[in-house]
Amino acid sequence: MAELQSVYAADMSGLPGKSASAQRLPTRVRVWAESGRNRSYCQVAVLFGLLLHGFFLAGCASHSHRVRDARMAYYQGDLEHAGELLRKAQKSHSGERDCLILDQAMVSLVGGDAAEAERLLREVRDRFDFLEQKSLGESALALMTDDTAVAYGGEDYEKVLIRALLAVCNLMHDGSDAIAYSLQVDQKQREILERAQETMPEEVKPAYRHVALGAYLRGILQEESLTHYDDASRSFGTVANWEPEFELVKYDLQRVQSGVHSARGHGVVYMLAMVGRGPSKEEEVAEATTVSLLIADRILTATGKHSLPPTIAPVKIPRVVVPHCTIDSVAIDVDGRPFGLTQTVTDVGRLAWQQCEASRNRRIATAVVRRTLKKAAIYSVKEMTGVESPLVNVAYDAAGVLWEATEKADTRGWTFLPAKFQVLRIELPVGVHRLSLRSAWHGQPVGPSYQADVEVIDGRNTYMLATFPDARLVGKILTSNAVNSRQ
Amino acid sequence: MSGESEGCSMKRREFLRWGLTAVTAAPLVWSSGCRFHQFGHVVEGDQSDMVGSHAAGAETYNALIDESMAKLLGRQEAACLPAAYSEGALGPKRICFVCVENCSIEEMGDFKEQVYEQIDTQILQAPMFEPINRRFVDAALRETRLRPDALFLPENMRMFSAVLEQQGQPFDYLLYAKLTSGTTEKNHSTQRDYLLTLEMIDVHTGRYDKESAKVRKGYHKTRVGKWRNYNPFTRRI
Repeated sequence: MAELQSVYAADMSGLPGKSASAQRLPTRVRVWAESGRNRSYCQVAVLFGLLLHGFFLAGCASHSHRVRDARMAYYQGDLEHAGELLRKAQKSHSGERDCLILDQAMVSLVGGDAAEAERLLREVRDRFDFLEQKSLGESALALMTDDTAVAYGGEDYEKVLIRALLAVCNLMHDGSDAIAYSLQVDQKQREILERAQETMPEEVKPAYRHVALGAYLRGILQEESLTHYDDASRSFGTVANWEPEFELVKYDLQRVQSGVHSARGHGVVYMLAMVGRGPSKEEEVAEATTVSLLIADRILTATGKHSLPPTIAPVKIPRVVVPHCTIDSVAIDVDGRPFGLTQTVTDVGRLAWQQCEASRNRRIATAVVRRTLKKAAIYSVKEMTGVESPLVNVAYDAAGVLWEATEKADTRGWTFLPAKFQVLRIELPVGVHRLSLRSAWHGQPVGPSYQADVEVIDGRNTYMLATFPDARLVGKILTSNAVNSRQ
Repeated sequence: MSGESEGCSMKRREFLRWGLTAVTAAPLVWSSGCRFHQFGHVVEGDQSDMVGSHAAGAETYNALIDESMAKLLGRQEAACLPAAYSEGALGPKRICFVCVENCSIEEMGDFKEQVYEQIDTQILQAPMFEPINRRFVDAALRETRLRPDALFLPENMRMFSAVLEQQGQPFDYLLYAKLTSGTTEKNHSTQRDYLLTLEMIDVHTGRYDKESAKVRKGYHKTRVGKWRNYNPFTRRI
């Protein structure tokens, strides 16, 4: 105790024993911090601040937990309840508002209100464009807390899919802006590719997949003009390059290179299907990083003057989870005769997983920097306030651990997306036709049949949209030239 | 006294240090750390177009259209017989502008429709030409289900002409606009030559007239690239 008192005395008198870092502080701060009473106030204030921060943030649910109920309601076809839960969440969690609006747009689209879905998607598209700019304040706050402090600006594939779905929504109600949206798909995809070329490490570039749905929509819209076969060929060529497993596009490519849109007296129905349950993000513990930090902080604690907060809280990063699909396509019958199965033009699950993997190292690096800064901050506070008492030291370490434990992985994202966007092109004679839709697994229909009547117009495209997260249809079958629909 | 002046000089040095740091950091923070809302303005008529950094833009397409149309119109000043020939009268040539074909390496995007409209407008303004409205052309292509490049087979041409004549829109010439490009690469620099060709085919005789305009553009990864590749020493004599 006497030794401790002498150290304090030495500290206060500015004699040897005063730490080097304290000497580097601005004079006024140093004088203030060196006063014994102020030092105690300072320690209490810092501890109180850390504990308060931990108290408020500890136990907060992540985005993925929050939308779980709404997601279940959506998949069970209870769109009203899903919409209600999403609206409620939007009010209480402003940081996740854009993701929740994206999910709300899916509920509106599947429920048959394509115009409302388009309005919501447009809102988020503009916001994501704005958020492509960096905010220094948010970045600094994210270093002090976690990645959720930064406004969510969307994953790259989400930015392209927003525009592709805007085109789909528009086609479902009037189609006047569909060409413009399809051009925006092209432009955004190009921007992303150029940015990826500049910023992505060489080893992840090949894994960085592209959203072929946007290019495909552009192709079918250009083909319908009957004069822009060159643009259609370019778009279908791009799709064939990006999605080599999508067999139907090879026929599309051949047709636009040497054939025509449809025979005289015929029109085309494009059946767009949203199949399976889409990806979501969950928290993952980066084991190797946690262990490395643990070893590093033990070494520094053993060699340094003060101890570092022990690495008890693991380093968390988001990972993409794609639920198992019980169906793989939709079987279409036309006027009672089997016609074919939809094929995948964009595998959203694979896209999300690959893009998440591509940015995994960057996310871990950010998490390590954040953790290091937190440990350094605790160490600096100990140094500044001259902590010597073992009890205060333990209190600081506990507060540091609590601060680290409040970190959450950023699990925000567009969770109501399907696992796959699929399509089937059906050329039919002009007139009204009845289409039957059934979910299928390995080519065999597995679910109930749903019918919709559609009017085919000479030389024109008609678009239909159906959502099959499982064997059963969710919401309505949307048709750009609807006659009626029933089960 | 000396201690006081030393203290003053230390304060001044500290002030200068902090001041310099703030002056250096402020623009950096301002430029890289804040989000700005987008704004727009109207570009005045006498202001030059922006030059596309990755692909052709207004600066390329406008120049190509203006030059090729001026050449074509200059060559076509001589009058020709109209489709509905009346004795002794020389009328304007009835033009069916079919499409703009993009055979270049770049997507034209939203410029494609604009190039069509700009050419169509200039044809309409020329006294020796009388274009057919695009909506009739599109309707005829839809009716016949012919591809624009399939109109040169005699049977297809007859079918297409017949449909337009039924709509009261006979024509003498087919007009095609075609954009092509040629790319030359040199280390981190690229030169791309854009060529817009206007091809006018007499549907009665099969004779054709053709005019082209070219714009050359350089794309560089660095600002120095332009000076390295295009300087007074590299000029053609």
